[in-house]
Amino acid sequence: MVVKTGQTDAIRSNREKTLGKVDQLLERHSNRSKRMNRERGLVGVIVLALVVWSWVMTEFKLSFLWSGLGNIANFFVNDLLPPDFSVLPRYLQPVIDTLVMSYLGMVMAVILSLVAGVLAASNTSPHKFVAFIFRSIVSFLRAIPALVWGLVLVSAFGLGSLAGTIAIGISGVGILGKAFADIIEEIDEGQVEGVKATGASWLQVLGRAVWPQFMAGFVAWSLYKMDLNIREAAVLGLIGAGGIGVALNSSIKLFQYQEAATGILIIFAMIIAVEYITSRVRKSIL
Amino acid sequence: MKKNIKVWLVAGVAFLLFILSLAQLGLSRERLSAAYDRGMVIVDSMIPPSVSNPSNVATAALESLHVAVLGTLFGVVFSLILAVFAARNLTPHFTVSVAVKSFAAFVRAVPALIWAILFIIAVGLGPTPGILALAVNSIGMLVKVYAEAIEEIDIGIVEAMKSTGASPMQLVFQGVLPTMMSALVSWSIFRFDINIRYAAILGIVGAGGIGWELVRASRMAAYSEVMGITLVIFFMILVVENVTRLLKKRLDLASMETVRS
Amino acid sequence: MAEKVLEIKNLTKKFPDGTVALNDISVSFEKGDLIAVIGPSGAGKSTFLRSINRLQEPTFGEILIEGKDILKTKGSSLRKLRRKVGMVFQGYNLIKRSSVLQNVLHGRLGYSSSIKGSLGMFSQQERKRALEVLIRMGLEEQTLKRADECSGGQQQRVGIARAMMQDPVILLADEPIASLDPASSARVMNYIKIMSQEQGITAIVNLHQVDYAKSFATRIIGIRAGEIMYDGPPHLLSEHIIKDLYQDQYAEEARAQ
Repeated sequence: MVVKTGQTDAIRSNREKTLGKVDQLLERHSNRSKRMNRERGLVGVIVLALVVWSWVMTEFKLSFLWSGLGNIANFFVNDLLPPDFSVLPRYLQPVIDTLVMSYLGMVMAVILSLVAGVLAASNTSPHKFVAFIFRSIVSFLRAIPALVWGLVLVSAFGLGSLAGTIAIGISGVGILGKAFADIIEEIDEGQVEGVKATGASWLQVLGRAVWPQFMAGFVAWSLYKMDLNIREAAVLGLIGAGGIGVALNSSIKLFQYQEAATGILIIFAMIIAVEYITSRVRKSIL
Repeated sequence: MKKNIKVWLVAGVAFLLFILSLAQLGLSRERLSAAYDRGMVIVDSMIPPSVSNPSNVATAALESLHVAVLGTLFGVVFSLILAVFAARNLTPHFTVSVAVKSFAAFVRAVPALIWAILFIIAVGLGPTPGILALAVNSIGMLVKVYAEAIEEIDIGIVEAMKSTGASPMQLVFQGVLPTMMSALVSWSIFRFDINIRYAAILGIVGAGGIGWELVRASRMAAYSEVMGITLVIFFMILVVENVTRLLKKRLDLASMETVRS
Repeated sequence: MAEKVLEIKNLTKKFPDGTVALNDISVSFEKGDLIAVIGPSGAGKSTFLRSINRLQEPTFGEILIEGKDILKTKGSSLRKLRRKVGMVFQGYNLIKRSSVLQNVLHGRLGYSSSIKGSLGMFSQQERKRALEVLIRMGLEEQTLKRADECSGGQQQRVGIARAMMQDPVILLADEPIASLDPASSARVMNYIKIMSQEQGITAIVNLHQVDYAKSFATRIIGIRAGEIMYDGPPHLLSEHIIKDLYQDQYAEEARAQ
């Protein structure tokens, strides 16, 4: 191979021209950095104002950090520890309830989200307007925390895990509905058309072209939702919507902190265990 | 195919679990229809939504915002410090890194609301336990992601800065920070969005903010009020998300040197 | 006899696991030369280059830059010597999210006070010079862009511009064109050549492409297994020598097939 070295002279002869351009570029740069500093300054001032405002309004004092830390450490050592494991049998049913709530909540969210996702995705929705409506519904569901749903549903269904399950399911649509719609919108039309061109039926197109592209995201998001659900389910009991939170709440109300410590440890263990299982499932089918 | 068998196996177990769970839940026709009737009554009384004491609700909503702001602030500050010790490439010793990371993992695995309850017992009712609970819960997540951002720093950048004769301080401020900044900022903003959601419900257990108003209304079976406050929460979260998105955009614009106009 | 800019004596590098990367290398470099260092991968080219500005710590030897041994310096006197040695990397190693201009100005960090440099405060004169260098490098349109918005060839030219801002007496380039296409490669090598000629900079370039080495270098050093096997002008580098230099690599490839 022969490598060209002839450009050398061309680069040299440009030299005089460059000096003229420098001032022009410098001007552009200083204008630019002025604008940048203004933007950054503005954001900085807004953030600072928010912090100061919050600090004043909540009457927060820096000493709270240390006293709070001291108090909680004190509370951990003196009241919470050692956990009272003799209450373990009493926690068995609540644990099962929590798992059931998380799992059924996930199934419910997945089913509803599949429908919502298809209707909200611009490329599968029957009409633009339908897509807009469903996107809005999903956004609304997402913006309202599961606990708020729980509060309302407890009124309708009474205390217990049914209210919690439905709360988890509904709020799950907010997350999964959006995720599914986004995945569907990213589906490569070319592959779909390729399968269609072979004369495949609608169901075959769905199975051969759409599903393979959808599957990975579908599984990953559904399992992720399961991870989130176990946390939601654990705290929904605090408002009486079933699960381990109910038992935990009553222990705390009765000042039985060592019992509560067992409950917290169980929640901790459940979260870790569920995350482990979902990651195993994810690995084995993806 | 082996993979296929696995998928079917997982699907089978999943279905079995579904049936068992349904049985556990104890659904019955009477219960469902009773719930349906009751639900209809509630939905009926929810409309139109109302807020009987707007200034109280507004104050409570702002308190949620304040709790979220301060919780995020302290979470970010402490996470930055801890992340330096957690990141493998900066930690003084790898046992320190493991210790900090396990601490963060533990803190992360306990839900924010439980932290709030514990802090309420420790420091009493009001916004303070909420701020502390959110700070602690934020630390659990932010230490992990900040440390990962630090660990991803390219050694090549460090070498390039060193070879210009830059001092260690110049290396950090001109090389390391600009590289990490966008990850740090976007994670912090993401965390603030999470915290505002938590702040909205912390009041349910007594840690300040609008959640308390919600519980109060639902205890009094004032469903139109419940719906009204729910809508306030919805708009609060919507506004905050859009404002943070706007600020982030401005910041991106500021960090990006290109003028595309 | 031209002025000796860099003198290396008995340079040896042993890794903790016992591998010898550089075995007692002694060589000196003159002002304004463009030296291509060639040899099979793993021969110690990179270690050799990176020892010169102490990105890697040699086990033993002396490296005299304008008569001063860099291995005996530390702290600010090490940084003062380092600023005389510009370096260009295979992976460009720019600060991706900073502007091209800012990246080039980083070349002045060794000359600025620690605080001013940290805050990115550079004099108007330095800015002017940075822009001039960028325009000469054909990067006029890129100065405002973020570094990662530039193509590979452009990024490498930014890397060279950064090194030039150091007013170096030596320019080290570690596989500067290994990730570039032929057109960009030729361009980058051209700039290195011009800078070396115009400013009398001694450029030491690691290359794995022998053809580029032959077209651009004024002197070629062949390294194999941590030792210098060839040191002379490009036209005397015969096919036979090249084969000899790369024999281990050939043998390995033959085995692989």
